[in-house]
Amino acid sequence: MSNILDIRNLTIELETSAGVVKVLDKLSLQLAEGEIHTLVGESGSGKSLLAKAIMGFINPRWKITADRLWWRHYDLLALNPVQRRLVTGRDMAMIFQNPGSYLDPNTKVGEQLRETIPQSELKGIYLRRKATRTVRAERLLHRVGIKDTAKVMNSYPQQLSEGIAQKVSIAMAIAHNPKLLIADEPTTAMEPNTRNQIYRLLAKLSASQGMSILMITQDLTAIIPETQRMSLVYCGQLMETGPTEKLMSEPFHPYTDAMLKMSFFNQDVAPKTRLPTLTGAIPTLQHMPIGCRLGPRCPNARRACIHQPRLSKVKQHQFACHFPLIEIVHHD
Amino acid sequence: MLRYSLRRIVLLIVTLWLLSLLIFSLNYWYPGNAVTNMTGISASNPLAYQEVYVARGFEDGIVTQYGEFIRHLLQGDWGLSLVTQQPVFAEIKPLLGATIELGLLAMFLAMVLGIPLGVYAAVQQRGPMDRIVMGVSLSAYSIPVFWLAQLFILLFAVKLGWSPISGQINPLYAIETQTGSILIDIWLSDSQFKTAAFYDALNHLWVPVIVLAMMPLTMLIRIMRNAVLDVLQQNYIKAARARGLSDSTIMFRHTLPNAMQPVVRQLGLQFSVLMTNIVITEVIFNWPGLGSWLVKSIYERDFPVIQAGLLILASLILLVNLFVDLLHAWRYPQVRKEIDAE
Repeated sequence: MSNILDIRNLTIELETSAGVVKVLDKLSLQLAEGEIHTLVGESGSGKSLLAKAIMGFINPRWKITADRLWWRHYDLLALNPVQRRLVTGRDMAMIFQNPGSYLDPNTKVGEQLRETIPQSELKGIYLRRKATRTVRAERLLHRVGIKDTAKVMNSYPQQLSEGIAQKVSIAMAIAHNPKLLIADEPTTAMEPNTRNQIYRLLAKLSASQGMSILMITQDLTAIIPETQRMSLVYCGQLMETGPTEKLMSEPFHPYTDAMLKMSFFNQDVAPKTRLPTLTGAIPTLQHMPIGCRLGPRCPNARRACIHQPRLSKVKQHQFACHFPLIEIVHHD
Repeated sequence: MLRYSLRRIVLLIVTLWLLSLLIFSLNYWYPGNAVTNMTGISASNPLAYQEVYVARGFEDGIVTQYGEFIRHLLQGDWGLSLVTQQPVFAEIKPLLGATIELGLLAMFLAMVLGIPLGVYAAVQQRGPMDRIVMGVSLSAYSIPVFWLAQLFILLFAVKLGWSPISGQINPLYAIETQTGSILIDIWLSDSQFKTAAFYDALNHLWVPVIVLAMMPLTMLIRIMRNAVLDVLQQNYIKAARARGLSDSTIMFRHTLPNAMQPVVRQLGLQFSVLMTNIVITEVIFNWPGLGSWLVKSIYERDFPVIQAGLLILASLILLVNLFVDLLHAWRYPQVRKEIDAE
């Protein structure tokens, strides 16, 4: 499988009163066609910023540099804004947390769905195009598993539950048949039942259309079961990336290990003992540690950690740590 | 929505009732005789006076008097003007027409100019054009109407001679007053100089309309600018961009309709300001409307007319506010949700 999204050493800098802050620090990410990739990071880790950088929504005052930011054969950083919006509008789509706030509150859902259907796919005169739009909009709703299309299309966004609203957002997102769907915490604050419905829908869409999905979540318990690869980000630095099972069973990075332990996969914590956590708190943007940003909180930190570790690679598994949890056998 | 409308209408009726109570009491608080104040018939005409004395329930208590007052009010018997001895109710209709014409045109001008300018300033946020538009509108907002009107008369009528100093139309055209609105009256009249009369009326009209439009115009620009800036930051606009919708689609189908929401709510409030200014403008431009009529009647202590003017202006403001609020709730589902949640 070839990579359709290729990001190498993406850095986003923001000038603040306390000097230049690297919000994303040399982040790399590759996404293959049809793959579901989960990006895990705590709040403030820059995971949403990465999504925005891919979509091109970054405030122009922020400085973006990257060795590569390629989407298929387009160098996204080299495109001018108009071309870029054309490419992203055609190939990419994004769904968000709080889907209700991403729908126009004063326009009926059906109307918003209809206008999303690309003009190029419509034929005939005005009335015929309008009718086609309605039919296509209904079909989109069917595809995301909404049966009562007439009722949903006739509602205002606030009349829909968050689950339905998220399905509507997905319907809008897939109207263009995008190659990449970025889902930014799409199910946070949803009950597990709705969450699983959304996950199943996303997995189905990915499988049936070869759509890549970049799924962004906060913790390891909320990941799509079908996800093939995962990446962990901490404070704008990539900690570890690899195939899901490998990463879950044999993490190289202490951060991954800590996240796994915190995620209650192992229920064998003795009663009345401390729950496993990392010491300390997430540093603020103005006070980022140098080198590996996990350093001050890392149980394995040593002197070398004041230098940022390079990505080491073991088969498909990559991690950035000087002192991995598993000894690497070098074959050189 | 139906419940809300009913509630608002009941509220309107209660307000109107309180208004009627106030106006009724004014008759007793004014200097002079309450019967004369109410009907415009003085005791120097004993026959007629005795008749209205009985008809208005002055032989009985105050409650009967109030009942008779309301009955006469509803029947359209609003008494005679103390000065002209003409029925007040019949006088009101053409005056109301003239006032509404002036007010509507000013409001229309304010909206036609204010909304696009506000949007433009918002789109050019912090750019030179934004600063110019906002600076000019703030300066214009700070000028009081009575002074602006006189400046305009000095400039356009006296210095440049582009328009007459005051009045509604040159009396030589002899347009018969039917609705009070001069443009409609010309259209209805059978004068052979219709076109010339029309241009003459427009020539009289444009200066007071601009003067009157200035306050709502500058308000609208600022409200609209803030509303557009607010909407542009909303998530649904970002999402619309992410979906690859064109800029014009986003502007006309999502940004503007949503930005109009606070503007619609403001229109009702702006109407009250407009009504205050219309009184001043009519006096300065000698416009034969309700405002100048009311001010003149105050100078002449013409109590039946003062009552009628107060009643009409206050009811007009109340009605327009009710209408705007209902429109607001009907058009914007979010507002309905808030109302239902109350």
